Amino acid sequence: MEKPRVGVFICECGGNISDVVDVKKVVKTASEWENVLVARHYTYMCSKPGVELIKQSIKKRELNRIVIACCTPKMHRKMFERNVGEEGINPAFLEIVNVREQCSWVHHGDNEGATQKAIDLIRGAVKKVENAVPLHPGKMPVKPAVLVIGGGIAGITAALRVAEAGIKVYLVEKEPTIGGHMAKYAKVFPTLDCAQCILTPKMGDVAENPNIELFTLAEVKAVEGVPGDFKVKIKLKPRGVDVEKCVGCGACNRVCPVETVSDFDEGLGKRKAIYIPFPQAVPSAYVIDFDSCTKCGKCAEKCPRKAINLEDTEKEIEINVGAIIVATGFKLFDLSDYGEYKYGMHPNVITALQMERLMNVAGPTSGAIVRPSDGGEVKKIGYILCAGSRDTNKGKPYCSRVCCLYATKQALMMREFMEGLDIWIHYIDLRAAGRRYEEFYKNAQIEGVKYVRGKVSEIIPDGDQLIVRAEDTMLGRPIENKYDLVVLCPPIVPSPDITKLAEILKIPLDEDGFVLEKHPKLDPVATKREGIFACGVITGPKDIQTSVSEAEGAAAKAINFLIQKEKIIEPNKAYLAVPEKCDACGECIEVCPTEAISIASEKVEINEILCNGCGACIPACPKEALDLKGLSEKQLMAEIEGILTGSESEIKILAFVENEIAYTALDLTGVARLSYPSSIRVIPVPSTSRLKLKHILYAFAKGADGIMFLEAPEHEGPFGKAHAIAEERIENYKFDIEDYDVDSIRLWFSKVYVPDWRKLVKVFETFDRMIKDEGPIEQEVRENILKQLSQETDT
Amino acid sequence: MDSTKPLIKIDEETSDFIAEILEKGAQIFPKEELERILTCIQCGTCYGSCPSGRITAYHVRVIMRKAQLGLKEEVLKDENLWNCTTCYTCQERCPREVETTDTIRLIRNMAFEAGYVKKPHLIVSRNFIETGHSIPLRDEDKEKRKRVGVSEIPPTTLTYPEALKEVQTLVEATGFKEKVLKLLEEG
Ligand SMILES: Cc1cc2nc3c(=O)[nH]c(=O)nc-3n(C[C@H](O)[C@H](O)[C@H](O)COP(=O)(O)OP(=O)(O)OC[C@H]3O[C@@H](n4cnc5c(N)ncnc54)[C@H](O)[C@@H]3O)c2cc1C
Ligand code: SF4
Ligand code: SF4
Ligand code: SF4
Ligand code: SF4
Repeated sequence: MEKPRVGVFICECGGNISDVVDVKKVVKTASEWENVLVARHYTYMCSKPGVELIKQSIKKRELNRIVIACCTPKMHRKMFERNVGEEGINPAFLEIVNVREQCSWVHHGDNEGATQKAIDLIRGAVKKVENAVPLHPGKMPVKPAVLVIGGGIAGITAALRVAEAGIKVYLVEKEPTIGGHMAKYAKVFPTLDCAQCILTPKMGDVAENPNIELFTLAEVKAVEGVPGDFKVKIKLKPRGVDVEKCVGCGACNRVCPVETVSDFDEGLGKRKAIYIPFPQAVPSAYVIDFDSCTKCGKCAEKCPRKAINLEDTEKEIEINVGAIIVATGFKLFDLSDYGEYKYGMHPNVITALQMERLMNVAGPTSGAIVRPSDGGEVKKIGYILCAGSRDTNKGKPYCSRVCCLYATKQALMMREFMEGLDIWIHYIDLRAAGRRYEEFYKNAQIEGVKYVRGKVSEIIPDGDQLIVRAEDTMLGRPIENKYDLVVLCPPIVPSPDITKLAEILKIPLDEDGFVLEKHPKLDPVATKREGIFACGVITGPKDIQTSVSEAEGAAAKAINFLIQKEKIIEPNKAYLAVPEKCDACGECIEVCPTEAISIASEKVEINEILCNGCGACIPACPKEALDLKGLSEKQLMAEIEGILTGSESEIKILAFVENEIAYTALDLTGVARLSYPSSIRVIPVPSTSRLKLKHILYAFAKGADGIMFLEAPEHEGPFGKAHAIAEERIENYKFDIEDYDVDSIRLWFSKVYVPDWRKLVKVFETFDRMIKDEGPIEQEVRENILKQLSQETDT
Repeated sequence: MDSTKPLIKIDEETSDFIAEILEKGAQIFPKEELERILTCIQCGTCYGSCPSGRITAYHVRVIMRKAQLGLKEEVLKDENLWNCTTCYTCQERCPREVETTDTIRLIRNMAFEAGYVKKPHLIVSRNFIETGHSIPLRDEDKEKRKRVGVSEIPPTTLTYPEALKEVQTLVEATGFKEKVLKLLEEG
């Protein structure tokens, strides 16, 4: 490689830097280093003349490596990259040294210390950049198609929106029809719109849209590939009826001799073995329930269209998409463990979903509210809200968010068509947070729906009736109320089998089993995995309006992701640097948070699209076969040595800082002009899991007296479990260094959240004091480490 | 009903009290105003505002709740009902615009009819029946009136016997007189 010709440029930042750091001294010192051809300071390096100064120097002195000491790289790195790029400098040959946020702004009053630190950091950067190799981002074509999993209102909305943008959509629904839960309701709060009237046109649009391919009775079996290019295997259960031929005449249904429980009617009604879930189903075709079908053949005989195939079999298809939207919705929590509610023990205790069917004119009783036990008249109904929600004992800790409102909706609707029906709603807190929701509740009160504050403690059967015991907490007195029908409002829990699906998709779930958002506040419809989005109740309980808004958001995200056509692949990735050393032991595979590593022909192979460059795999390799582009072994060792060798500071502390969260916190300490000891010298790393014991020992050998590791927390940081691995490793290194006569207290690990920036000062002061009390490491110890290190590399 | 027993059995021991209140108030208050009691959310603004509630056991929020639940007897029998000063502070402040004070007054009427009324209120009523004044004119009041330069006897039923006649006709026609005297007799 050509000989490095380095230019060092230090910015005064209009005094922000130069009032504390003696920039003249920095320039003088740097210009004496080997390979440094130019060293200059200037008022504002980021200004036009500043940038011009750099560009001219590159031209005049044929510089091929640039080090700029200025503000945090988060500020101007991109701009400098672009400008030096115009002069032919590869981004890997540019180093930014943070001498403002992490030097002059935090060491005011310690000008000498700050100047020494700036010199050391710049020396480190020069050594690092001398050892850099040019890096080039890759490109990958993106498959312009989206898989939507789940055909409820969220999935339907997302599918339509993506299809409207002219992008191919595969909609996968496990039931024989799309529509989800909303298809079961008569009306929806708070508008009391007819649910079918607003849902079925959308379902029809799905059927008709040429960009949407619908698979019902379908299940995602496997997902391979990478974001932008997923290969998806879908299993199709046999339907027994040819969707193209069936005209929905129902001749089959009339002759079918088998009757079974209707799942669409939540077990309250009966249906035949060949059936259509509801008249507006999409696809508009009958379906055979092969679990109950006896294959008597009567239907096939009657079908005028010859649409029925009793020997229909399972099929598997494979599709190729660039992005995935998860919209698998919810189910209700099973209340069988609540003996006090008598669910499943008394037929007149039902769930709210069963109630939706019972009160629906298209339901099993044609809308007549009767007692399931004897078909008797219902005069009085009790609702039990939070029947398992907000209950850490046997239920779920969270609020299910829609129960207060749907109970109110059902009550209002029933009072409208059944005069004199007495309805009582037992609640803990009435939560009507949402546009027009409080008004909806108030209206129900006026209409005579009664509300009792106090969670129901017990339901006692009394023949066909049920006595409900509760407290009226407004009066502080127990009450008893006798009902013909009791409606339970159980917690809303994630769709069945979401755990399996999440494993297939490699997306994490939260503690309650809902899909974890990339960021709960600022990125709520993205999952933790690139290219996979989620919307509707699968990310947490919510109403239809919010589900639809999220679906629109998820669709926009997916479209945005695909519209780039080609995905840029950042070059800072791990790679198998010394293939002959790798014996496919698989240690690296264990630690990789993105499952980027696999074994192919007895060597590991790192997928550069999946790899996110955390560096966790590199220390895991016992053979030292792996390396990281952008922060290679060579660069890291050179930087460590550069910072420490030649430093005149009495005590030297290296701080390896995770580059996103912890680094940002550290910058904020500077922005607030807090002050900490100048002994602290930062080396940014993607994650401190990048560091080997070797690096630490080398740092001690080269003059470090203490080493800190500031790491992002697992759930906030960009690299998931790599952050946790970091902590584990450092704790082990504490033991390991004792073997080299270095006290374990010379290593310090801290998990840093962004808001912790104020606390960092305490952390630094404490560690600095500890190390000062310990004193510098003896020269003999350092030499001994160095000897052992070189022995180890020899063998 | 034994008012010390805490358990409330809905329907067995309760009735549609609110319907009765609405009927009672129908001639005086528009239904859509009075029925706002149905929307009471038990926020407590009324009781928190109540000057009487601070020093007596009168609890306006609890009365609203008992009315909602239909605990008619308990409400009518509650002696504290008579501690409302009718200052209207609660009614001014109720976020659901419940006609609290007016409702209390209607309930008092119902309590009176049912024979639940406090002795001092009966005495005051007797004064009114006899003199047209609920508070009698004492000698020291006359003195005060003289001192500030107005007539010793005010220009009311005390001066105009024909006005007193009118009052007495009214209290007789409404049955008020008979009821008050009967209740006083019974003690
Ligand atoms: C009793 C009750 C009444 C309600 N009433 C109202 C109301 O009046 N107004 C209102 O705004 N909200 C109401 N809600 C809330 C409303 O139901 C939800 O907001 C809405 O259904 C969410 O839609 P979704 O598409 O996210 O989920 P869902 O409706 O659950 O749809 C999910 C779909 O995904 C499918 N699916 C699940 N798993 C898979 C899989 N692995 N592969 C393929 N497909 C899968 C399901 O079969 C289903 O079709 C009510 C809720 C309840 C419980
Ligand atoms: S008889 Fe045939 S065409 Fe008619 S509904 Fe049944 S399957 Fe469809
Ligand atoms: S929405 Fe209402 S009933 Fe449902 S959990 Fe929340 S508070 Fe309880
Ligand atoms: S551990 Fe990190 S650096 Fe290594 S392959 Fe996985 S994502 Fe890439
Ligand atoms: S202020 Fe109104 S809403 Fe609140 S408790 Fe009193 S009457 Fe009810």
